[in-house]
Amino acid sequence: MSELPNDAAFPSDGWFGRLAAAAYDDPETFARLGFAELRLVVEVIDGDDRRRFGIVLDGYDVEYAGELTDALEFAPEATVTGPSDAWREMAENIDAHGGADNEHTLNRLTMAGVPLRVEAVDPMGRDKFYRYAETLQTLFDGTARRSARV
Amino acid sequence: MTMIGADLEYYRRAQRGELDLGWLRDCRSEWGVKAKPSRIGLTLRDISIGSYGEVPEHAPRRTMAPRGSDIDANVPDMGYTINDKSEVWSDNVLSLYEEAVSRQWSATRDIPWSELPELDPDLEHAMCQLCTVLSEVEMVAADFPAKWLWKINHDFIEAKMFLCTQVMDEARHTEVFRKRALANGGGLGKSKAVVEEFLKLVLDAESYDEGSALMHLLGEGIVLSMFRAGEFLAPSPVEKRIFRLCMQDEARHVAYGTMHLRYRLQRDPSLAEDFHGYLDKGENIIAMLFTTPEVVEPTTILAAGGVAQAEELAMSAANIVRGNVIHEYLERCEHAGMPRWDRVTLPPEMLTDVPGLQGDVAARVAEVAV
Repeated sequence: MSELPNDAAFPSDGWFGRLAAAAYDDPETFARLGFAELRLVVEVIDGDDRRRFGIVLDGYDVEYAGELTDALEFAPEATVTGPSDAWREMAENIDAHGGADNEHTLNRLTMAGVPLRVEAVDPMGRDKFYRYAETLQTLFDGTARRSARV
Repeated sequence: MTMIGADLEYYRRAQRGELDLGWLRDCRSEWGVKAKPSRIGLTLRDISIGSYGEVPEHAPRRTMAPRGSDIDANVPDMGYTINDKSEVWSDNVLSLYEEAVSRQWSATRDIPWSELPELDPDLEHAMCQLCTVLSEVEMVAADFPAKWLWKINHDFIEAKMFLCTQVMDEARHTEVFRKRALANGGGLGKSKAVVEEFLKLVLDAESYDEGSALMHLLGEGIVLSMFRAGEFLAPSPVEKRIFRLCMQDEARHVAYGTMHLRYRLQRDPSLAEDFHGYLDKGENIIAMLFTTPEVVEPTTILAAGGVAQAEELAMSAANIVRGNVIHEYLERCEHAGMPRWDRVTLPPEMLTDVPGLQGDVAARVAEVAV
């Protein structure tokens, strides 16, 4: 896991690989946060183009994190969707600060429905995004490239 | 009451090495059960096997005897009043209990208190007032389950255990908001009667049904949105972490409340009208909360960055929070099996940003919007 390319930019399998590696490399932190079960899609919209990346949290681990060819088959419980600019700004902010600053946390970016939005087939799926808020934020913060980490 | 005297004859026989061993030879509980741990350890679901996994629809006794054990005929009656599974059960309660235990945190250890920055006095006041309200409301979600726990039949032990985790969660929320109010040069703010009125409505509920609908679905749903708003508006990473950790706990409680109501209504749809009545009452008080300055203005000031800016921005931040609160609450009602899109009793002025409204409610909101 730790041998993943450190320079992969968002959105890419390399970037999501770093997200999965965050849990692998620091099991103590994730054990303390507690276990989680979630199938989340990150949808990146660029004009007419939509790329979807799946994240599967299972227990204390990230079982899968990478691009999806079929999001329906993935059966997400929740989807966080928004324009690529907003996503890239978040990823760059995480890199720059070694973790999201006050303006770029997942909850901050989704609370008002802009620039990102949480969608779910039912409210139980959406509420899971809140149930694992700290785990998800810690994972996303873990994508900061090693040199940027504090 | 039957008094059980000490069996001195047995005592003397045992002293001589003449053991009874009836419990070993004649036990009628299921033998040979061997639960296998799953990847995260031995969970309640893992041990929910054989006769031990069978939760009766109606508890045959009112005793603390562990479900599945070989129970004496003359066990005392504990006087439980909640003896039907559907009164407290939800399909997700086993996993929610495990999750709750796994995701406990400490308000002393896990919050980086030493990193709290000094804030502009207006912002500190606003944060302290928000913390005052939250510290006040959170404990009712411990008092309410505690009030009903001893009335719930032991056969539904998993639901009781989950409610115990909720009691602990809410104690920690009360603690963390009290600590935040006192940690940065501010202090506690105003406690308002209208807030206490809602808490009293929950605490005085005549049934677990009524209290659970008011608390798990309505009250905690609203507080979950307030936690999201708190994280959104937090002036520093310290408050961000506080609100995210609380948000996780609160979402578990709401998940129980929503799925419990769904379970309840699936088994007895005729109760829907009773539940609508409870929520009609609750929404009336929620409307009063939305017009209480001590509840709504702190978020406005935190969003704007100060009092002067808040007067310019008016209530736009509070409106976003309120719109989210109501929409998410109505979605949960629908998922639970009692849609209120055409029935919500909040004033139309408070519903203008809420999508999905129907019937008379939609018409009244449209009139106001014009």
